Amino acid sequence: MARRLKRVGLALLAALLMAAAPDAPVMPVFPPVRPDQALRFPADHGAHPDYRTEWWYVTGWLKTQDGRDLGFQVTFFRSRLSVDQRNPSAFAPKQILFAHAGLSDPKLGKLLHDGRMARQGLGLAQAKVGDADIVIDDWRLARGPDNRFQARAKAADFTLDLAFAPSQPVLLQGDRGFSRKGPLPSQASHYYSLPHLKVSGSVIQGGRRVKVTGEAWLDHEWSSTLLDPKAVGWDWVGLNLDDGGALTAFRVRDAAGQTVWAGGSLRAADGSTAHLGPGDVSFGTERVWRSPRTGGRYPVQRELVVRTPTGERRWRLTPLFEDQELDSRRTGGPVYWEGAVRAPGARGYLELTGYVSPLKM
Amino acid sequence: MSASSPVLSLTALRKSVPGGRVLFEGLDLQVAPGEIVAVMGESGVGKSTLLNLIAGLDQADGGQVAIDGTALQSLDDDGRTRLRRDRIGFVFQAFHLLPHLTLAQNVALPLVLQSVEAGEATRRATALLDAIGLTRRANDRPAQLSGGELQRVALARALVHRPALVLADEPTGNLDPETAARILDLFVAQVRGFGAAAILVTHSERAAAVADRSLTLTREGLVAHHDG
Amino acid sequence: MTAERRPLSRTALAWMMVGEWRAHPGRVATAALAIAIGVALGFAVHLINGSAQNELAQAVRTVNADADLQVHSSTPLGFDEGLYPSLARAPGIAAASPVVELRARFGVGPSQSLEGGGLTLLGIDPLRAAAVTPTLLGRGAVRAAEGAGGFVPESVFDPRAIALSPAALAASGRKVGETVTLTAAGRTVTFGVAGVLSQASSEQQIAVIDIATAQWLFGSLGRLQRIDLKFAPGADPQAVQAALRARLPADAQIVTAQSEARRGDNLTKAYRVNLEMLALMALLTGGFLVYSAQSLSVARRRPQFALLRVLGLERRGLLAQVFVEGALVGGVGAVLGLALGLGVAVGTLKFLGGDLGGGYFRGTTPDLVITPLPALIFFVLGLAAALIGSLLPAMEAARAQPGIALKDIGDRNDPDARPAAWWGVGLLAAGTLAAFLPAIGGLPLFGYLSIGLMLAGGVAAMPWLARVLLSPLRGPARRVLVLDLAIQRLWGAPAQAAVALCGIVASTSLMVAMAVMVASLRGSVDDWLNDILPSDLLFRVESGGFDPALRAKLAAAPGVDAVLFQKTLPVRLSPDMPPLILLVRPVDRDQPADKLPMIGAVAQAPAGVTPVWLSEPAARLYGRKVGERMILPLGGGSSQVFIGGIWRDYARQAGAIAMDGADYTRLTGDDLRTEASLDLAPGVTPAQATRTLRALLPAPLAAQVQFFETRQMRALALRLFDSSFALTYALEAIAIVVGLAGVAATFSAQTLARTKEFGMLRHVGVLRRQVMAMLAAEGALLGAVGVIAGLGLGLAMSQVLIHVVNPQSFHWTMETRLPLGLFASLAVALVAAGAGTAVLAGRRALSGDAVRAVREDW
Repeated sequence: MARRLKRVGLALLAALLMAAAPDAPVMPVFPPVRPDQALRFPADHGAHPDYRTEWWYVTGWLKTQDGRDLGFQVTFFRSRLSVDQRNPSAFAPKQILFAHAGLSDPKLGKLLHDGRMARQGLGLAQAKVGDADIVIDDWRLARGPDNRFQARAKAADFTLDLAFAPSQPVLLQGDRGFSRKGPLPSQASHYYSLPHLKVSGSVIQGGRRVKVTGEAWLDHEWSSTLLDPKAVGWDWVGLNLDDGGALTAFRVRDAAGQTVWAGGSLRAADGSTAHLGPGDVSFGTERVWRSPRTGGRYPVQRELVVRTPTGERRWRLTPLFEDQELDSRRTGGPVYWEGAVRAPGARGYLELTGYVSPLKM
Repeated sequence: MSASSPVLSLTALRKSVPGGRVLFEGLDLQVAPGEIVAVMGESGVGKSTLLNLIAGLDQADGGQVAIDGTALQSLDDDGRTRLRRDRIGFVFQAFHLLPHLTLAQNVALPLVLQSVEAGEATRRATALLDAIGLTRRANDRPAQLSGGELQRVALARALVHRPALVLADEPTGNLDPETAARILDLFVAQVRGFGAAAILVTHSERAAAVADRSLTLTREGLVAHHDG
Repeated sequence: MTAERRPLSRTALAWMMVGEWRAHPGRVATAALAIAIGVALGFAVHLINGSAQNELAQAVRTVNADADLQVHSSTPLGFDEGLYPSLARAPGIAAASPVVELRARFGVGPSQSLEGGGLTLLGIDPLRAAAVTPTLLGRGAVRAAEGAGGFVPESVFDPRAIALSPAALAASGRKVGETVTLTAAGRTVTFGVAGVLSQASSEQQIAVIDIATAQWLFGSLGRLQRIDLKFAPGADPQAVQAALRARLPADAQIVTAQSEARRGDNLTKAYRVNLEMLALMALLTGGFLVYSAQSLSVARRRPQFALLRVLGLERRGLLAQVFVEGALVGGVGAVLGLALGLGVAVGTLKFLGGDLGGGYFRGTTPDLVITPLPALIFFVLGLAAALIGSLLPAMEAARAQPGIALKDIGDRNDPDARPAAWWGVGLLAAGTLAAFLPAIGGLPLFGYLSIGLMLAGGVAAMPWLARVLLSPLRGPARRVLVLDLAIQRLWGAPAQAAVALCGIVASTSLMVAMAVMVASLRGSVDDWLNDILPSDLLFRVESGGFDPALRAKLAAAPGVDAVLFQKTLPVRLSPDMPPLILLVRPVDRDQPADKLPMIGAVAQAPAGVTPVWLSEPAARLYGRKVGERMILPLGGGSSQVFIGGIWRDYARQAGAIAMDGADYTRLTGDDLRTEASLDLAPGVTPAQATRTLRALLPAPLAAQVQFFETRQMRALALRLFDSSFALTYALEAIAIVVGLAGVAATFSAQTLARTKEFGMLRHVGVLRRQVMAMLAAEGALLGAVGVIAGLGLGLAMSQVLIHVVNPQSFHWTMETRLPLGLFASLAVALVAAGAGTAVLAGRRALSGDAVRAVREDW
């Protein structure tokens, strides 16, 4: 009734004086990676927010107290978006962080995985500059003062609570950390690895905390223009060799499955390193697994041939089990295969991307 | 008087009006089955009140009313109502037919109140209407009838459920002499035909003459009536 | 026993009823119709309320989406965004989603209506909302995230993308893929329509954009209006709430889905209950009419019933006879009423909206919600009204001595019997007592009980009252025979008069009570409008505002005599209550009455304490008194303020708090004002002043400012008032029409029942026109008695409405004003209707054969 009068002479909104909306947006400038830029540590363990894309990738094999083998991965991504840089809001989506965690348990025969995604800001999501410390809510990967990396990821079906102690120096990929990914010099990334990380900690699964040990591998990579336009995905493998050596091999594929670029490195236990170029790496396919969920056809068993100055070496890569597909679309990622593999005298991880639809960075 | 037990037995009946005036006291009367008794008396002496007492519609100040040996005082209102429904028939001076019911329905009312099925009740009522000369009038309504015809219908209603006792209050009071005489003859014939007893309250000497007994109501009770 | 028990004869029952109905179909129809109208009104109002409430709840659910818990800011200024990470990390919280919430509208420039925009603009972080309130994600956004090859789908964060609810999309007139322009907080921005909020309530206008865009472009940097929360699995909601409360600043409150629904419910509960009560009153009037009809019908048929008793129908049978008649009339009427009510509800929802013109739910047309239980309840109520209306006549008929009743000449009355007054007086006294009892749960239930008791008491006292009122007329015989006859009859048969009167008194008194209440409220609102709108010209801006420098410039403009700047903003004091309005204007702490329509005592605030002045509804709702202190959440903190006085307010039912502008700026730092009222210099027209002022405003603001002439505002306010009372007027008119129909039916029935009496009068030499004159006099007298009784009773009930029902449900008071013109026309109408219907019925009664009428017993 007379309450209608309320609206007469009632102005609802208070306002704070603000500058009028901008006319022309200021877009971010993404710097290219340059070969002459030397990596420095621990600063380069931290984030490089100017670049478009960055990730910290930890994969590895675990052994439980009762002697079972498990595979795991914990990955944190950072992505800089093309949004107006003038927006002063703490919520401005200039940096998006997301993370995936996966657990490969042969008893289950399929990959358990979960993810987190948030815009950086307000202390809830943060990728620190200066040293490794990436936080998304209750997930975190950080390097401690003792040089050990701590990872904690509470997924829906499991929790990883792991520490990684480096047992070898940093392995700079490519040309002192400048790793080419395509035929153009600009198609490259800054890339280093930490193989043979000694793992300690625990895995909680089904409400049970299990102590684990094992050996892991960390990749840290950042770039603004990673892939060639023809590229649809890549195959990548990192193997901790039983003799203390470390093998890295990757190839970038086009839509026809032909190699656009390839590379990698083989570091011997004594530290001597052979850098591999496009002609030095070949991935043969021995078995293809078809995902019943996405229809993706993944070459999960490989014959890897690497040509080194000392001769050709071969590894037959066999997966811990076939179904290690990871669908991360809900948390800002692609559909890909990320699985524990073994070879005679070596254990590591194989990554197969772009097999469901072309990968876009 | 018959030797069989009386249909109606009044013993030392006493009744006064609300003002305190005594209408009658020490009234005794026995009516045998099939007997027709005429009750005469001056206006206001209490003839209608006597009928109401017999029918259980009014309460005596003293004495007893018994119908078929059942004392009315021993019954509650429902009991008296049921006794009235089953054992007594009424004929009124003013006919009292329900205007919105057909003649057959009016006649069938006592049967219907006894929960006789409606079709059966109207069939019996129609038969009775035929018998008293109202052939093919069963579906008419009272408004279409003359006074004499109305009283015939009322008579039929009083007898249709074969009561033991018919109470008639000035049944010819609203009729012209010729019609009155015909109705009176019909009344006696039908009551006798149904084997009922009757009490006929009337001013008419002619009416009293058709009764088996003729009594006059006075303050002291009922006394035998003598012409002149 | 010579006779065994038998079931009641169904055949006799049927014959009697069918016969009666065939003979008097109009009377039966009137009684059934009275019940039907009562049930229809009640059921329709209930259906509409139910549907509106359902719509409200649904709307609340959509805006809140599926959050377990929300934290709301107590004012639109919002709270500091630092609360968001604090709550996100709180124990027991699985996910938190920050929200910027703004009022907005499509298009550019000031809104064309006084009512502002109806669009709710939400700024969300889709990544957070996905876990808490997925219904707020547009369909487009979800699809963009599903490309199997992509990394971060940038389209999710598109700063110029907007997702609209279906209603908002329809209101904007755009399609997905097109652009739409939106104005909020004084800023106009163009967005691309990227998706549809397909799960939003069909009627609600919601727009969702990215939270960063909302903060930046609509001036809300660093502030949030809302945080939606999801509990961790297994968390104890009570414990979590308690933990959260400890983290909340003063300008934020916890709101659960329940408290939100309760708030909406509180807002309209009093209004809805009042309408339902009004509808029940109509049903009650219907009950009285059934009583009238039944008792007349029984009185007329008394000899017929006596005959049945003589022929052997038990008392129980007779009771059942009358009762079953009443039940059939009530049942048929109630079923008819349900159908009618459904039709009325559908029509009303379509044409008036869910608040029956009350203005509570703007811009929504709710779907009809039909549940069987209320229909059953209203059916039973209608049936009960008819049964209770039949009970008294039925008992009277059964009690009668059949021997006497049979000989009765139809119209039995003993002029020497004195009608008892105690029954009616007792009810009236109980009614008066009930008026002094407090409200229950914010509802004036005892007030309505009081009105019901008074109504019953008034009707019960009618025989006695009719005799008292007619006694002075009796005296020595006049020369006018017909008048003497009429008075003698009414005086000698008070019960019969009362039967005719109870319908008329019930409907008249209800109408008088409502009319007095509405007239009083309207008069008080008119006075109040003069108090609060004394000046010539108003202007306002919906968002942004006038800063001090601009205000000085405007005040110094040529043609402006005086100007008062103010600002209003909602403030939430309790999560369960709708926000009240903070009215910021210059108020002299020593002389508040200069700027506010104060009522009652005024208190001086101690030095150093900020004074505020509460509106009457605010004081009643929050139970505050002059001289007390209270806490006001303002500007990120909370301030203790002193209540300096109470002022009258009819506009803001949820309450308002007035505060001096200087105090407000000191407490909040906000020195913008959004409204101004101007006194113009002599000879300056509002149009001239508008041009002058518009020229002084800076360009972006000038486009947003609306100007109003006070005269128009006042007219508009009163028009809104009248339209919101339109339904009340309609209910009243229906009650009166039903009442008059009942009076007509009653009069004609009584007159027809007296055919014999007229026959006798004609026999003894009374002229036909003298009989007619006698009837007219009787009718007019009866009408007059009805008017006097109805007015008296209505005035008493109006005082309950004014001093009990209104303060308890709407928290305002008013001064009684009497609509004398209405009273006069009501009196004339009732007297004329009484005389007219009596004469009409008399013609029919006299058209028959007089001789036959005397001879016939019924």
